[in-house]
Amino acid sequence: MSELERIREKAAAAVNCTGTTLPSGLRVLCRTMPGYSTVHAMYATAFGSVNRAFVLDGKQIDLPAGTAHFLEHKMFESEQGDAFDFYAKTGASANAFTSYDRTCYIFSATQKIDENLDILLGMVGKPWFTQQTIAKEQGIIGQEIKMYDDSPDWRLLTALFRCLYQYHPIRDDIAGTVESIATLTPELLYACTDAYYRPSNMVLSVAGNITLARAVAACQRAGLDKPWPEHRVQTLLPPPEGPVQQKEVAFTMPVNKPCFALGYREAPIPRGDTRREVICDMLPDLVCGGLTDLYRRLYDEAMVNPEFSGDYISAGGCCAIAFTGESEEPRKVADLVRAEIARLRREGIEEELFTLVKNQMYGELLADVEGVEDAAEEIGAAYLKGRSLTDEIEVLATLTLEEVNQALQTMLLEENSAYVEIRPTGTDEEES
Amino acid sequence: MERRQLAPGVFLTTLEAEKFNRCRITIHLRYPALRKSATDAAVLPLVLERGYAQCPDMTALSRRLARLYGADLGVDVGSAGVDRILSADICGIKDRFALGGENLTAAYADIVLGILFDPYLVDGLFDPEAVRIEKETLARRLQAEYNNKRLYCVRQARRRFYGDSPAGIELGGYLKDLPAVTPATLKAEYDRILSVASIDVMVQGADAGRVAEMLLDKLARVKRAPVRFASPLAMPITQPRHFREEIPGLTQAKLCMLFTTGTPEDLPSITVLRMAMSLFGGSATSRLFRNVREKQSLCYYCGASALRATGVMMVDSGVEPGREDQAEAAILKELEALCTGPITTEELDDCRRSLLSTLDALGDSLGGLESWYYGQILRDEALAPPEYGKVLFNAVTVEEVREVLQSYHYSVCYAVTAKEGAQ
Repeated sequence: MSELERIREKAAAAVNCTGTTLPSGLRVLCRTMPGYSTVHAMYATAFGSVNRAFVLDGKQIDLPAGTAHFLEHKMFESEQGDAFDFYAKTGASANAFTSYDRTCYIFSATQKIDENLDILLGMVGKPWFTQQTIAKEQGIIGQEIKMYDDSPDWRLLTALFRCLYQYHPIRDDIAGTVESIATLTPELLYACTDAYYRPSNMVLSVAGNITLARAVAACQRAGLDKPWPEHRVQTLLPPPEGPVQQKEVAFTMPVNKPCFALGYREAPIPRGDTRREVICDMLPDLVCGGLTDLYRRLYDEAMVNPEFSGDYISAGGCCAIAFTGESEEPRKVADLVRAEIARLRREGIEEELFTLVKNQMYGELLADVEGVEDAAEEIGAAYLKGRSLTDEIEVLATLTLEEVNQALQTMLLEENSAYVEIRPTGTDEEES
Repeated sequence: MERRQLAPGVFLTTLEAEKFNRCRITIHLRYPALRKSATDAAVLPLVLERGYAQCPDMTALSRRLARLYGADLGVDVGSAGVDRILSADICGIKDRFALGGENLTAAYADIVLGILFDPYLVDGLFDPEAVRIEKETLARRLQAEYNNKRLYCVRQARRRFYGDSPAGIELGGYLKDLPAVTPATLKAEYDRILSVASIDVMVQGADAGRVAEMLLDKLARVKRAPVRFASPLAMPITQPRHFREEIPGLTQAKLCMLFTTGTPEDLPSITVLRMAMSLFGGSATSRLFRNVREKQSLCYYCGASALRATGVMMVDSGVEPGREDQAEAAILKELEALCTGPITTEELDDCRRSLLSTLDALGDSLGGLESWYYGQILRDEALAPPEYGKVLFNAVTVEEVREVLQSYHYSVCYAVTAKEGAQ
């Protein structure tokens, strides 16, 4: 057996995921986990906050910021009542969340699995919106928006995207603004569900004490086993971005220590390009993760908190890598990160560090498929990005240092960067 | 599950973990909190986590963990009423998943036991450089509390509620005490904890016999005098006290309301208490969620929780500035309605189903099962599996839930809000 085959076998055994595509176009994925009591299910659509314009059956629809998130809240209501009330009768714990590129509806349960799957597929499959119920939700979401307005981490990220992108909708908060969601109507919401809540744009992923056959049977009861009447949908993308327009921004908030973000705009990751995704994921750890000398210096010299970290964000048509933290000397930290990136580009990444980061990521992937929640959500999320967890493990095992060093020559470039700083209220005036 | 005593005040519990990809070892040291050494106790986990005698360098330790496929090591301090718990845990993939066939589980035990029992010392005291760095880290953490307004509001309310009571000793220590923390004071606190603590080791999926042997070997060098767990307490009943803090630039106001039972006697069973919190504000079918959030759109979040050992119930919420009084009145009205008005069997059963489901799910995570059993140890109860908890939940009545809710008296309300006229 070759090294690659051995790794592939180990990866498949660790992930142990089966799947099928129904005639409706719905992809159903299942990780059966012997010995577990819980079932976690996620029904997700590739429709997130960055989906802001599309053509549906020849008609262009433009959406206000926050539409996908608003829709997520509204899907829990039907003419028959609130889905939370139905779940309460089965003992399931249910929730939903919206990200930049997807909306996910989830439940965890140990009993009445068929009933819970029926509730999940029913609530998402039969949207029901009225002017009155929309008005009520605007109040609740208005409070949610305000809660995020007080979060320095969230404000940093939004401000960073506003610097890095001139046109892309990632500039706007996932929940939108009180003003933007005030313009939503039942017609707009129905247009979104017609366009993006089609089975061929969705995935049902389940994990735990469940089989693929049981999940498929639930889809059959929901009528998802038949070919689906398709609307003609074309997602409209924003115009290509030019050079980064705003290199720096600073503003104040009631915080007692400056917060900062150093971000880099990267080329969007093509759907299914797992190697590129894995490289984006590991680069921040290679630059200033906990295993690096730079992190050690920043930490020991009290320039950052343990929470200082780098991360990547990828959604339709955009990709960014951001380093964020709190510091008394934010600009100095950002300069040290910049210098380290330049050094790595010049001298190359240390081989041992690269191997250790790969090891760490492999361990994280195995941890992800150990719990039913993470397992269902990770296999579903990977599918929506055009890959599988087995692909990720394979890529991780076969990725070479040369590939990463080469990628670094065209990534984390200074001309594609921006810097955001939040200063404590009263210490300074806003710069822009 | 098997629990056995290894020495006075030292127990080892083995839990089944066959189905998991990973294994886990946790060591809990429960000891009485002292106001005078609270800040030493808060710095200690930060210093311990940096390394130990066999691997003193922080980066070298991080790299060792990465070599073990990113094994997770954590050292933390938590509370159990007036007592504190210093915990170290390690969690990593099982040997069969190692790409190079390494023996990982033996290494996990070496590291986690080394971290707690073989600290890196310089001339018999903690490394002065590590202490200096971690004092600064703690200072930054304490200052950062203000950045998270929800947390800040809850902590400010707790400070008013507990005052100088032992239950109010700050888990994170005190900024003003930090300069007095030295390698010597830290070592003294470490020695005190090792001497008086009740030690519980929880092993899941690793060789428990080897862990027991190693632990006893390390404890043979320690002078032990374990003390009993602290007794429960409760703050006295007073007239409600209101505090309001205005912060310019705040968008959403935060409200934290604290209630006391007034007496540590007749503690409610944890089962009835969980049902009561679920019904009042701990679930998506609770009165606070349904009425205050959904029907009245007064709060984005509004939840209730309780701590049995200190007789406190807390409601915290995020509300629109200027509507704090309205939200407070609505929350109190819901509590009053549960204390004196009807509670339907249907709504109680909704909560019961949700909690039963939670119990069913405990065995599906390493952390869940460990928390279930260690929770019983902390309450000094006989250990019983989650199935026994289900029997207890099925027996809870409306009257018991009402009685628990009636035992709380409104004590402190802390509001963090936008500056008048700023919105």
